[in-house]
Amino acid sequence: MTEAFSWVFDGLLVIALVIVAARVVFTPVLFKAIVMFIVFGLLMAIAWGRLDAPHVALAEAAIGAGITGALLLAAYSDLVSVRRRRPHLRPRVRVLRRHAFFAASAALAFAALALVLLQVPAPESGAGTLAVANLDATGVAEGVTAVLLDFRAYDTLLEMAVLLLAVYGARAVLVTDSEPRPDPWPTEGRHGSMVAALVGVLAPLIVVTAGYLLWVGAYGPGGAFQAGAVLAALGVLLRLTGRLEPAAASSWPQRLVLVAGLIVFSLVGLATLFAGGTFLDYPEAWAYPLVLLIEIALTVSIALPLILLFSGSPGLATPAPEDRR
Amino acid sequence: MTPPVLYALCAAAIFGIAVYGLLSRPHLVRRLLALNMMGVAVFLLLVAFARRDPEVTDPVPHAMVLTGIVIAVSATAFGLALVRRLYRDTGRTGLSESRDP
Repeated sequence: MTEAFSWVFDGLLVIALVIVAARVVFTPVLFKAIVMFIVFGLLMAIAWGRLDAPHVALAEAAIGAGITGALLLAAYSDLVSVRRRRPHLRPRVRVLRRHAFFAASAALAFAALALVLLQVPAPESGAGTLAVANLDATGVAEGVTAVLLDFRAYDTLLEMAVLLLAVYGARAVLVTDSEPRPDPWPTEGRHGSMVAALVGVLAPLIVVTAGYLLWVGAYGPGGAFQAGAVLAALGVLLRLTGRLEPAAASSWPQRLVLVAGLIVFSLVGLATLFAGGTFLDYPEAWAYPLVLLIEIALTVSIALPLILLFSGSPGLATPAPEDRR
Repeated sequence: MTPPVLYALCAAAIFGIAVYGLLSRPHLVRRLLALNMMGVAVFLLLVAFARRDPEVTDPVPHAMVLTGIVIAVSATAFGLALVRRLYRDTGRTGLSESRDP
């Protein structure tokens, strides 16, 4: 009975995912497509939960649906003056032929993938089995955290570099020497006192949640990624309600936070290298404190870049006291 | 058929839909959406296959997907910055190859 119920649930979830994915592609209105994409991310978070991947579910809900959605909506508000597409000048037959070709490619991709996927044999033993077997050496009791910060720490280190590159790339692309553009989120008279009070109540709770997620990562679903994403969501909230304002340059503390993850991670790696080991191979007694130190640095270094990317400004500043309501 | 296989087939379907969206939509934000969905389909495949052995859940694909999600949001943010700049400079939201911007 339970099994039949879970089959029905999985079936409905899969159907919903495919329908929402199709809506993202086929809806003619860009705004609808973005909203559908956010819905898609949330449905996907449920699917991760069903697949016994609570870490991924947390990250998908916070980053995949939340932060990506906020970034998309911010970009949309910038592009909102785009006029409707002009009518096609090309003959309809060519358009149809092109779309038939695209549809054929898509169907081919699906068929080839499905055919291969149904035949992949289950692995006898892989990296995962090894990782679970050697969990004791890492000082953390959670497999995913151990893989992220110990067994495959190098991946995570380079990922921080990618995030930093994205921030500086976006800054280089967006900041021109023309006069500053008006902020897409005007705060004057937009928010009543209720919103300000609500944010005041929510902000400390969000910080506590982020701290909990960071701490619990050592033995349960959570960790630096999820904690950083939750902090970033707080930053987006503060930015939207005017508690944080865009600044023309980032202050020294902000720059330090941006690179903290990369620097702490690299320093730990170099320290283990010079202590006679291999790069990022922590000595067993030190493994847990080192992992925790790196995770704290990663959390802030994931949160701030995401906030800056949303804000679209090189830095952030708190408004002058007289501006505050 | 087991649940992981069902989700793997779902991943293949989403991938196919996203390929169509990537090819047929000239608007660059729509293409970014489609690219993101292709990425999510790959993540779904990885996580579904991590569950094939019902006894243990393989943590390595989960960690790869977590890394992938952060990389995807970085790349999307950079792509959106490029689209905004393109629109600011030229007033277009598609590339010049696509004749209906």
